[in-house]
Amino acid sequence: MSSNTRTVVNTRFPRLTRSGRAWAGEWNRLGEQAAFYVKTLVSIREAVTRYFGETLRVLAEMGLGVGALALIGGEVVILAVLTGSAAAVVGIFGYVQASSLGVGAIAGFFSAYANVRLQLPLIIANGLAATIGAGATAQIGAMRISEEIDALEVIGIRSIPYLASTRVLGGLLVVPPLYCATFVGSVLTTRSVVILAYHQGAGGFDHYFNTFLLPRDVIVSGLECTVQAVIVMLIHTYYGYTASGGPAGVGEAVGRAVRASIVVSITITFVLSLVLYGKSGDFHLSS
Amino acid sequence: MATSTTPLVGLVKPFDKPLREVGSFFALSLDTFIQAARAPFFWRECLEQCWFICRVSTLPAVAQSIAFNGMVVFLFGVAAVSFGAGDTIGASSGLGTVSQIGPITTVFVLSGAAATAMCADLGARTIREEIDAMKVLGIDPVHRLVVPRVVALLITANLINGVVILAGLAADYMFAVYALNANPGAFASNLTLLTNFASVVVSFVKASLFGMLAGLIACYKGLTAGGGPQGVGNAVNETVVYTFMALLIANIIVSILTATTTLAT
Repeated sequence: MSSNTRTVVNTRFPRLTRSGRAWAGEWNRLGEQAAFYVKTLVSIREAVTRYFGETLRVLAEMGLGVGALALIGGEVVILAVLTGSAAAVVGIFGYVQASSLGVGAIAGFFSAYANVRLQLPLIIANGLAATIGAGATAQIGAMRISEEIDALEVIGIRSIPYLASTRVLGGLLVVPPLYCATFVGSVLTTRSVVILAYHQGAGGFDHYFNTFLLPRDVIVSGLECTVQAVIVMLIHTYYGYTASGGPAGVGEAVGRAVRASIVVSITITFVLSLVLYGKSGDFHLSS
Repeated sequence: MATSTTPLVGLVKPFDKPLREVGSFFALSLDTFIQAARAPFFWRECLEQCWFICRVSTLPAVAQSIAFNGMVVFLFGVAAVSFGAGDTIGASSGLGTVSQIGPITTVFVLSGAAATAMCADLGARTIREEIDAMKVLGIDPVHRLVVPRVVALLITANLINGVVILAGLAADYMFAVYALNANPGAFASNLTLLTNFASVVVSFVKASLFGMLAGLIACYKGLTAGGGPQGVGNAVNETVVYTFMALLIANIIVSILTATTTLAT
């Protein structure tokens, strides 16, 4: 009876049932994704205890890069270049804006606020997504379509801890040193842009920079970067793990993963900065 | 003779591979420019690619632009308000969006979303030897595949830049008026204070340049992919890194070259 009614509804309203199925599919995919993330996070312990060698290998690959990427210095150098160029923009824009108000000396304030609160979390998340994230999706996706993941399961290696958890842990561990390097790099870049290109006094710049650089902000932005790295690696391993449809499918999965993680990381930065610093910005510029 | 050149060869060896890569990239670019002038232009392929790029990159472009602009303007706006100069938010957001944030967002979206997908598509064809099959049939892959893709990226980069600037200015307006209580009229009238026609033109010139470079790099990496699915993965990864680097450096160079016309205050 019930199957009979279903056929009647299917033939009577084909478009309705099709869109209903699409919705249900999306809904299921969301649940699947959540289940995968929980499983990956829970099995981090297993990744450390059982697959310690693989964890170390993944960590080294992420930090220093393989193949052609190792030639130019790996992830750290790439992200240093990215954040450095964004910091140059902060310097140019901050100085021009401040000098249009006649207070060019206060460019150090923009360095202390814009670099720490905005530029580093955004650029590091984007850079991670586009480099090691995309690499992980492509790698795991290639393993999936050539049925290497099934082979892993057959020989008794649990694929989620071995492939996904190790990479998430790698992202978690690679970020703190990376953050320190990029922080120093971007602050120095903004400083040299303002001092060398716009001929501002180093003393004035440093004074305002030191006054407005809050230790709390630096710690919070470091934590933000770490959380984002974990989320980016979760998204990218999921899309790689569920890739299908041959080599072209892997490419598509890479594109979709990068898109998803860029949107998610931007939303996180946006919401977090509103939550942490509030609508008024929590500036201590004037009393 | 052989003994005398051996140390020299050893000295040159580490530079051999990168130099060859750069050389063949320039060769492909030259081929593309020459083939672009040849008679049949494949409109259908070009339009399909345009639609594909728009599909993958519009949502991230808008999201990134809103977040980036909203926060930058908020940050600079708070400083301006505490100097009692809240009316200049419009001026700074116009300048920031058009001259720097717009192009940089376009860079991120083009290299992160569009170039990767393009490279993965071409790479998959290369490792399945479809490109070789085309050559055997006497069809030039550069003419048939690369030229439409590069042109498509060039067109869509401009469209994305436009979308990014519009979304960014809308976000700026929202933040300035509703979060910082700036005067909407002052915002609108100051929008063109620091931004002139030249900086808008420069912004779109930058976008065209980025689109062309990203297309060339993606196609080069895709056509030279090798070593099975793993090779495609590596090619995609390298595409992202190289396009990021190339486009950010191009952005800085163009900004410096045009600084006198656009940053004149």
